[in-house]
Amino acid sequence: MPAARAATEDTAMTELDDATRHALCDLLLAIADDKLMLGHRNSDWTGLGPILEEDIAFSSIAQDEIAHAQALYEFVGRLAGTTADALAFGRSPDAYRCAAVVERSDDNDWAIALARQLFCDHLDQLRLQRLSNSSYAPIAALARRLAAEEQVHVEHADGWVRRLGSGTDESRQRMQAALDTLAPLSASLLEAVADQATLEANGVYPPLDPPMTATWCAKLTTLVDDAGLHLACPESAPNTPGGRRGVHTPEFPSILDEMCEVYRIEPDAAW
Amino acid sequence: MSGSSNVGMHVDHDLHDDPEKLAEFESRVADGHLIEHDDWMPDAYRKGMLKMAEHHANSEIIGALPEGEWITRAPSLRRKLALTAKVQDEVGHGQMLYRVSQDLGKSRDDMLRDLITGKTKYHNVFNYPAPTWGDIAMIQWLIDGAAIMNQKTLADGAFGPYVRTMKRINMEEAFHFKSGEDMVLTLMSGTPRQKKMAQDAFDRWWYPSLMFFGPPDKPDAENLPPMKWRMKTVKNDELRQRFVDRFAPAALDLGFVINVVEKDADGLVVAKRPDEQLRQDETTGHYAFTEPDWEEFYRVIRGGGPCNRQRLALRRLSYEQGQWVRRAILQGQAGLPPAA
Ligand SMILES: [Fe+2]
Ligand SMILES: [Fe+2]
Repeated sequence: MPAARAATEDTAMTELDDATRHALCDLLLAIADDKLMLGHRNSDWTGLGPILEEDIAFSSIAQDEIAHAQALYEFVGRLAGTTADALAFGRSPDAYRCAAVVERSDDNDWAIALARQLFCDHLDQLRLQRLSNSSYAPIAALARRLAAEEQVHVEHADGWVRRLGSGTDESRQRMQAALDTLAPLSASLLEAVADQATLEANGVYPPLDPPMTATWCAKLTTLVDDAGLHLACPESAPNTPGGRRGVHTPEFPSILDEMCEVYRIEPDAAW
Repeated sequence: MSGSSNVGMHVDHDLHDDPEKLAEFESRVADGHLIEHDDWMPDAYRKGMLKMAEHHANSEIIGALPEGEWITRAPSLRRKLALTAKVQDEVGHGQMLYRVSQDLGKSRDDMLRDLITGKTKYHNVFNYPAPTWGDIAMIQWLIDGAAIMNQKTLADGAFGPYVRTMKRINMEEAFHFKSGEDMVLTLMSGTPRQKKMAQDAFDRWWYPSLMFFGPPDKPDAENLPPMKWRMKTVKNDELRQRFVDRFAPAALDLGFVINVVEKDADGLVVAKRPDEQLRQDETTGHYAFTEPDWEEFYRVIRGGGPCNRQRLALRRLSYEQGQWVRRAILQGQAGLPPAA
């Protein structure tokens, strides 16, 4: 990391009061955990993609997601006195803050993988936009850096939804089925972290106008309509506590078991 | 990774080649000129180069599989990113080499189909298992190391498109090798469990690395078409010796024991003893070593290796599950997005 950038992101780490710091850590973990799980799932396509060119492109995006997660974990690590790897690999399942939609397997279905990426990328773009306007300068600086790459992801996902929507009957059906399957699950992305209201009130995570959820739905619906498909976009988070409060899908612990298999052999060792 | 030295090339003169053109071709090759797609070349040369580039391309994308299996289990964010990028590079090498092959007259789809139906082959080394994280370190150190040695000599060949691709690929392989070296060093300076993981993996990969360069050469290898036409520029045995001279002392320095091993049908080591032949000749500087088991080599090439079926099955699954996407691209309005 260049010295100048590190300086801005490091500045004023101590300015936050305890409640804000806790809430911000939770929010950043939610974003980072989403990105890690998404990157983790998608990196598994490397070498197995449907077309060599797309294999390479999709792998680049998976790497971006993991690298974004890493940058956010490092940030949280500085606020909370731990390391990025300990956050990524060393927590118990209920300490993760990721949403149900990124925990879902794509079952080797490219359309599901793409739809999962689509819902997440569009939300990531908006979350990073909000953080870019944060009253807390260090996180605003980091968010602006990540937002530029997020734009590329959104264009990639949008391009593929259009391509599959205008491809064959089969590709239309498969893309539609994937959207239908994931749309209800994508509501999990909208759940707020504990004390998110504090961050919205003090400008650390300023709201958007129109609100983020409405913007997210409007963008997704326009795109999907344009691709000749349809989308029942969720307009709010589920009523029951989910990933943001540490309540995960039944398959989540086994995802962690796989991801942490080697790390757990010697958690304190360098690998 | 990869390289195509064990392609098992049977390239020979064709009696129908115009002797004048053949003589001109051979003198251009001997003078170090590069041959391009639209130049005259013996039919056997065109076919041989296609076979070689296709085999190499197949090896890159099959080579992505054993390491790809460990992306989801990499033990740190840094390693996870590096391994994903590494496997992605290998897919990129496959793409570049399929392009060279396509220009020699075979469609990509035909090549992918011939690969999964077993009509064409890929490098033998990928038929061995990678049961631990230590194997991933070893593949990037020994196998990418062997690939660099081999591909540097292939970059000295005569076929322009292949030579240029080798040069590009070799730059990326250097990164893979460096990261492999770093992983091995980290394990060998780690806990007893990590060291054992590395030694066990070393035992599994040392002999496949020696076999990587292909079987012993025919006595008159220099005068046969593959070398005479500079499709290949250094003999298998010479490359193998260079490899041992470079890696045996490095391995000993890191604290490895170089063992002769016996393996079961799954490619796992069931018995081992230190290689007693292994020593440096004081006058020549070369290391002596126990030769690989060439019967095993031929058995694995014929499909009897520990992972042949598994690799092809996964490649087939990927091909089949991607078919609807490829059809959508071919029949749809929008073209393919540019590769990142
Ligand atoms: Fe490589
Ligand atoms: Fe390669």
